[in-house]
Amino acid sequence: MDFDVIVVGAGPAGSAAALTAAKGGAKVLLLERGPEPGSKNVSGAMVRLDYFTPTFDVSSIPIERKVKSVDLMFLSDNNRVRININVNANLANVGRLKLDKWMAQQAEKAGALLITKTTVLGVEKDYDKYKVITDRGDIRADRIVLAEGVNALVSIKANIRPDLNPDQAVQAVKEVYSLNKDEINRRFGFKADDEGTSWRILGTDPVPYAGFLYVYKDAVAIGVGVPMSILIKRKITPYTVLDEVKERLGFNELVKGSSLREYSAKVIPEYGFPSWRACSGKIYLAGDAIGLVDPLTFDGIGPAIASGTLAGKAALESYECNRYEAELLKDREVRKVVNSRPLVKELINEDNFKYYVRTVNELLHSWVYGDLSKVKLDVGRMLKHLLLGIGVLKS
Amino acid sequence: MRIEERLYTLRYKKDEQPHLAIIDPNRCLKCAEVNGVPQPCIAVCPANVYAWINQKIIVSYENCVECGACRIACPFDNIMWKYPRYGLGIALRYG
Repeated sequence: MDFDVIVVGAGPAGSAAALTAAKGGAKVLLLERGPEPGSKNVSGAMVRLDYFTPTFDVSSIPIERKVKSVDLMFLSDNNRVRININVNANLANVGRLKLDKWMAQQAEKAGALLITKTTVLGVEKDYDKYKVITDRGDIRADRIVLAEGVNALVSIKANIRPDLNPDQAVQAVKEVYSLNKDEINRRFGFKADDEGTSWRILGTDPVPYAGFLYVYKDAVAIGVGVPMSILIKRKITPYTVLDEVKERLGFNELVKGSSLREYSAKVIPEYGFPSWRACSGKIYLAGDAIGLVDPLTFDGIGPAIASGTLAGKAALESYECNRYEAELLKDREVRKVVNSRPLVKELINEDNFKYYVRTVNELLHSWVYGDLSKVKLDVGRMLKHLLLGIGVLKS
Repeated sequence: MRIEERLYTLRYKKDEQPHLAIIDPNRCLKCAEVNGVPQPCIAVCPANVYAWINQKIIVSYENCVECGACRIACPFDNIMWKYPRYGLGIALRYG
């Protein structure tokens, strides 16, 4: 049996693509290597409901808690700054297994055929069609969407994009601790069962890292991401960094009496489209496979859905590559990632990263102590990054 | 908490065929000379899949959490890295 479109990977990008193409009337096959959608996926647990509305019917979206506040923390040496931001926007904590299953179900409802436990090994041109080689046999289609995630083995093998190198990747590890609902509400001071929070932690010791904390209905997740090149240079494992961060935050006290429920890891891409192609022939790449993560806002699911929706449309209408890539560059979510790349490249630099975390600490501590005269600001550096950030400087 | 205890929390179905392997052990020896010990693959791995014992890399692929970091970190492109077949390997609840 041949298909119009085969989508590889039932994550946010893949399900958005499959849903879009199936809604348009294409015969769509959605392939997922895990036992169910979401079972192989790792991410932060905070989403904006606006991500979903252009593509999915959000009336039934499975959320864990509504995010009512975000805590921003800067940790350097023995100093700590914690800023609490109240949230009025539509932010929510989610679990990926439920969320990804829900997105794939919408693609199925639109007519896409979902097949799980099937790993795609390669894509080859087969006369005027493509042959998709899987561990369960070959299938043919006219157009392909590769939403295969950060380890984009099929895209790399087909020479559409190169592999990442350690300077272009962050290694993240995450732990989830189960704790009953009432204890979570009490320990975090939540007034209702559906109230939630998330923390963003930027720290300099033992190595520069970005950390996070999320609250599920009955669990708390904590994790850190560290540039891979720093782990290699310092010869330190990512879980050692996580253990130290937990210690510094007093996390073990916060989840006292609970047990570890899950341990996971993920590589976060910090490079990709438009330096890489997002297309070849009638093969369209989307999401993590082309590095669409905005590390400044910790946001990967938004650009994944946006690019996946465009890939589904491209596959439906057989876009030429230039058109698909131009459409990607026009998209707000994708553009955010693309525009942030020059600044991200600067901030992932150890010296710059440490400078900012320390400066925020110094500045706010000096202000509290009532003496700002000793604070020395590197105005040249800050101006350069400000100009990069607002897009006046390009690199 | 030891890494092995953390890995116990994962639902895991083992693929009898290893999805990770060292292509050429001599290159790991060279890597130890150039980069010292622990080598990049050992430093980035969140699951202690790799261990350097008696001048040799030992691969415990059944510990793998499928993140892909070792493949990216290896300066000698010396790791054969695939996904487990047929939906085997880890299955996450929270992700």
